[in-house]
Amino acid sequence: MLEVRGVDTYYGNIRALKEVSIDVPGGSVVAIIGANGAGKSTLMKTIAGALPQRSGTVSFLGEMITGLASHEIVRRGVALVPEGRSILSRMTVRENLEMGAFTRRDGKKTARDMDRVMERFPVLKQRAGQLGGSLSGGEQQMLAIARALMSAPKLLLLDEPTLGLAPLVVADIFAIIREVNAAGTTLLLVEQNVKQAMKVSSYTYVMETGKIVLSGPSRELLQEPRIKASYLGKA
Amino acid sequence: MEWLNPYHLQVASFMLINAILGVSIFITLSTGQLSLGNAGFMSIGAYAAALLSTQHQVPIPVGILAGSLLAGAVGILVGIPSLRLSGVYLAIATLGFGEVLRAVLINWESLTGGAVGVAAIPQMGRVILSMARDGGFSPESIGLRNNQFISLSVFLVLLLCTLLSAAFFLRLSRTRVGRAYTAIKLDESAAEAAGIPVTYYKVLAFSQGALLSGFAGALFAHTTSFVSPGDFTYHRAVEILVFAVFGGSEHLLGPVFGAAFLTLLPEALRAISEYRYILYGILLVLMMVFRPQGVIDPALLRRFRRSPKETAA
Repeated sequence: MLEVRGVDTYYGNIRALKEVSIDVPGGSVVAIIGANGAGKSTLMKTIAGALPQRSGTVSFLGEMITGLASHEIVRRGVALVPEGRSILSRMTVRENLEMGAFTRRDGKKTARDMDRVMERFPVLKQRAGQLGGSLSGGEQQMLAIARALMSAPKLLLLDEPTLGLAPLVVADIFAIIREVNAAGTTLLLVEQNVKQAMKVSSYTYVMETGKIVLSGPSRELLQEPRIKASYLGKA
Repeated sequence: MEWLNPYHLQVASFMLINAILGVSIFITLSTGQLSLGNAGFMSIGAYAAALLSTQHQVPIPVGILAGSLLAGAVGILVGIPSLRLSGVYLAIATLGFGEVLRAVLINWESLTGGAVGVAAIPQMGRVILSMARDGGFSPESIGLRNNQFISLSVFLVLLLCTLLSAAFFLRLSRTRVGRAYTAIKLDESAAEAAGIPVTYYKVLAFSQGALLSGFAGALFAHTTSFVSPGDFTYHRAVEILVFAVFGGSEHLLGPVFGAAFLTLLPEALRAISEYRYILYGILLVLMMVFRPQGVIDPALLRRFRRSPKETAA
C-alpha cells in the first residue's frame, strides 16, 4: 500500500534519513522502533509531506506522492497523528473533529463518521462541547486519533501515540489501535513502547541514526537477541 | 437640525474608515500573521482611486472598486513570498514593503505628484450633493445646510461600507474558511495534519486584509479629497495594529471598537491639547498590564450575550 524507496531527508546540512526504504502492506500494522533521534518522526513527517525529502520516492496505492503538499496527501487517504498530539486546544472537541474532515466534501458520510467516532470514543462524546485544551493527556491523544480518523484515511500514521501517558491509558491506546486496524485501516506506528508495538504489529523496522538497521516479522524479531538486549531489557 | 455638526460628523467618518482598517488587520491576524503592511495597501487603494478620478474621470464607485482590487492583487503578490516568514520577521518584511511603497509614491512624481500628493479629488459628499441638486432635491427642504448635507452623506456612505465589510467578515468567520483561519492561528502543524492547505489560506487572509485596507484607503481619498505619502507612514501602520492590540484581536468587534475608541479619544481630549497623547500612551501601557488580550475578548462577548437570558430566567 505504502512504498518508501531510498528516502533522504535533510535538516539544513544534517542528513536525518539515509536511504530509508519501507513497505506497509494494505490492512497491516507496521511498527518502527528505535532510540531518540533515530529519525522515526522525520520519516513520518516526510511521508505525510510535512518535510521535503532530497531524494528517493514515496508511493501510495501505486501513485507517487513524493513532493505533494500535506493536504494533497491527506486527500489521498494518508492521515498523520503528529507527535505531541497537537490538538487545537482552543476549539471544542467537536470542532476539532470537524477540522479533521476538512478535506472531505461528502456531508452525509462525514456526519455518519462523526457519529461512529463518537461511539468509539465515548469520552469524546461526553466532552464534545469542551475545549480541546481542557482534556487530559490520554483524552487529547484519543482526540488526535479520532480527528485523523475523521478524514476517513486508508493509512493512519501514528507518531508516538503513548508518549507521556499513564500505563492504563497506554493499554487503552493500544486497544484502539487494534480496533482501528480491525475496522480496515492500515497503520504505521512509531513507538518507544517497543514490546507493545511489536505485539500489535505484524512487521517491525528498527531505526538507528537515520537508517533502517534491522527489519522482519515482529514475532521473529521479538526473539532476536539484539532486540532483546537493546530494547526489551532482557539479556 | 442645528445639532448636526459637520465637525462631529467628520470625526465619526474617520472612526468608520479606521474601523474598516481595524477589520482588515483582524483578518490577517485571524490566521496568526502579524502584518504591518496595511498602511501600504491603504495607500495603493487611496492613490489608485484618487488618480483614476482626477486624471481619468472615472466614476467614484468604480475607482474605489478598482483601488480595492488592486490592493488585493498586490496583497497576493507580496503575500506569497513573505508568508514564508512568520511572527516578528513577517512584521518587519511587511513594514519594509510599506516604506518602499511610500518611497515610490514620493519619487514617481509624474504619476503621484511626489511629496505634494494628489489634490482636488472629488469629495463623495459634494458629488452626492450635486447629484441631488440635479435630481431636483435641495437639502434646505429637509432643513439642512449644504455643509451639513455633505458631511451627513459621507457619514452614511461610510457607515454602510463599514457595516457591509464587518458583516461580510463576521459571516466568513463562521464558514469553512473562517474555521481554517482559526485552526491555522491555533496550531499550524495541526492544521496541516488535518489536511488544511495552510499556505493557500494564509495568502487568502493576507490578500483579503490588503483588499480591505485598499478599500478603506479609497474611501479615505474621497472623504478628505487630498492624499499624500505623509498619510501612509510607519505611524499609520502601527496605529492600525494598535486598534487590534487595544480593542482585542480574538473577535472582529475588538479592532472595530479599538479603531472607533482610539480615533475618538484624541478628539474628545482636545481641551487638554498637548497632554492628550501622553494620556493616550498611558492608556496603552495600562492596557498591556491589566488586559493584554484587549478590551473585547470572547469571554466578555459571551457575558453580554448571556446576561439578557439570565435576567429573564
